[in-house]
Amino acid sequence: MIAVYIIVPLLVLLLIMFVMTYNSLVRRRNQMQNAWAQIDVQLKRRHDLIPNLVETAKGYMKHERETLEAVTNARNQAQKAVGTGVGAQSAAEGELSGALSRLLAVVENYPDLKANQNFLALQEELTSTENRIAFSRQYYNDSVLQYNNKTQMFPSNIIASMTGFKRGEFFEVQVAAEREAPRVSFS
Amino acid sequence: MFEQIRSNQFRSIVLVTAMAAVLLALGYVIGIFFFDSAIAGLIIALIFWFIMSLVAYFQGDSILLSVAGARKISKEDHPRLFNIVEEMKIASGLPRMPDVYIIDDAALNAFATGRNPDKAAVAITSGLLQKLNRDELQGVIAHEIAHVKNRDVMLMTMAGILLGSIVILAWYASRMLFFSAMMGGSRRGGGGGGGGGAQIIVLIIGIILMILAPIMAQLIYFALSRRREYLADASAALYTRYPEGLASALEKLAASTNEVKSANQATAPMYIINPFRKRGKPAADLTSTHPSIQERVRILRSMGGGASMADYETAYSSVKGKGIVPKSALAGATPGAVPLRETGPSTEAVEAEPGQVQRTREVSNLMWRKQNYKTIECDCGDRLKVPPDFKRPQIKCPHCGRIHKV
Amino acid sequence: MKCPTCGDPMIVVEHESIELDYCTNCAGVWFDEGELELLLEGMDLDRSMLSLDRILTSPEARTREKKRHCPICNRFMKKATVGHDPEVLIDACDRGDGLWFDGGQVGQVIQQLNRIDVRSEDSQDRLITFLGDVFQIKE
Repeated sequence: MIAVYIIVPLLVLLLIMFVMTYNSLVRRRNQMQNAWAQIDVQLKRRHDLIPNLVETAKGYMKHERETLEAVTNARNQAQKAVGTGVGAQSAAEGELSGALSRLLAVVENYPDLKANQNFLALQEELTSTENRIAFSRQYYNDSVLQYNNKTQMFPSNIIASMTGFKRGEFFEVQVAAEREAPRVSFS
Repeated sequence: MFEQIRSNQFRSIVLVTAMAAVLLALGYVIGIFFFDSAIAGLIIALIFWFIMSLVAYFQGDSILLSVAGARKISKEDHPRLFNIVEEMKIASGLPRMPDVYIIDDAALNAFATGRNPDKAAVAITSGLLQKLNRDELQGVIAHEIAHVKNRDVMLMTMAGILLGSIVILAWYASRMLFFSAMMGGSRRGGGGGGGGGAQIIVLIIGIILMILAPIMAQLIYFALSRRREYLADASAALYTRYPEGLASALEKLAASTNEVKSANQATAPMYIINPFRKRGKPAADLTSTHPSIQERVRILRSMGGGASMADYETAYSSVKGKGIVPKSALAGATPGAVPLRETGPSTEAVEAEPGQVQRTREVSNLMWRKQNYKTIECDCGDRLKVPPDFKRPQIKCPHCGRIHKV
Repeated sequence: MKCPTCGDPMIVVEHESIELDYCTNCAGVWFDEGELELLLEGMDLDRSMLSLDRILTSPEARTREKKRHCPICNRFMKKATVGHDPEVLIDACDRGDGLWFDGGQVGQVIQQLNRIDVRSEDSQDRLITFLGDVFQIKE
């Protein structure tokens, strides 16, 4: 009889601990997945912005057809790569960043374009979009770190392995062009 | 690492508890003096505190914003500011975009409000918006969002309410005591008669407490406030990965001596720097809500290795000789693990941005629009901005003499 | 903003990205501290040589002219002088909110224009040149 008095509360306590730990694991995994979805939101913002940018630039940049086309193509490739996995997607986005940098480098030669109000507004939007992408990746990595710590640290690691919580994958910049932080300044 | 700093508010909780203890002690003494019952005094103190807390909890942010004379703006009003707030919302993982407000004031300051991260607002003076470049503005907004994220707004509101209750109760109690002493003050001693010596001692202790309680509460409050400022700086460096932005913004703030017109003692800790600084007054002592700006800048500039909490802790102890960041916030964080943003491209971005004059016109035009001014473009290139209460039917451009209809 | 002299609502005049408050009734001009700073930005001057600072630190000029309230902080402004031969009496906010020129004083200040070198690096000269530029009453 005494054994029951000890074992039952102990089991209840264990169950409560299990549920709480499990819930916090789920919460962190959701946070991580939300953070990942946020990156996609920002990448979509970038894809939506580029046609506008190219359209505005076209009127001023008569001799840069190839550069502009490269940006448009890279943008279409990047849009196709959405949802194909971290590796392929970041490669495509890297290409786009490279093409954008080349475009922005030649903007230097077009003072009229640089003074255009519409273009200035787009420039601010592009600067912000690049920042947002960087910050959403940063937040995703911070979330992954939190989640991974939880799945690896005792005692939550036991519950994590029992219920099949896998390690989160860090976002790593894979393309050299991407590593050189996209140049969005039009100076 | 964001989470831990929120959950580990041990020292802050100790300080708030200490303030609550001061409030209760005050209530106790008031009860003994005026009602012959300590319980009655305690109940009065608690009811007083409870009502003020309820008002602050549900109406605090709107009261604060309207006292400050803040106007809500939308993305079209100032795209850059809006973008920066959204960038920091993303970097901090805030669940909802905070409302953005502008205060029409030439003084340089900013504050955050909102009882939880779902219902937050950031407000910035028009003067600050004019003075700061993009990186600096980002640092300031990051600091404000950090206050929301670290739950400082909530904490400081509650602490402020405690402080307010203590000050008001002590003020009335001491006036009442003085008044009843003038009138002969026999009511209290009427029943007992004996033990006069002990009563005088209680009276003296009571008077001392009434004088000391507001001072003690204020010192605790200031200590709490200064501590949360440092932690918000640390979080801002982490969100932006660029402590230099905030450091350089703080330097600009330090150089200006304008007081914020709409600030008062109760709202002071909400601002990014103490809104009451005077020319020549040393910025930080025991009775200051904010640490010295020079020190904050020095700490941020010493973060050579990286942007994590651990790096801030290292920088803080190299300047101050002791730590500040809670232990649990440092768990798993190694100095240098979170790299700083590269400075190369961003310095170019600064040059590409609108300059000081353009920024000023952007902001002042926004303020004119908000106040329903009408803009007339004169052919000579000048612009005439006409207030809504202007009565005359026409205006002569003072530059070229052309006549415009209003 | 209300005119400190006649109380009429003032209009804002933006000239070359600098704003002035101008009273259409009495032709008085308010030069705000922030705008003054913008005007003098980029000038290679010692901070202490800025005209506003100099005007503020100079002793109160002796005059029987009526004291006026600062339109920003509503405190009394002090009487100060700008330019020379003759010095023009203006009102300056003690807190440094800005400078007020009565209608006639703008004219007096501008009369000194032709004696000033346009490239002058003196901040008071720059101020006078700017006012002259806005209220083109050149001789």
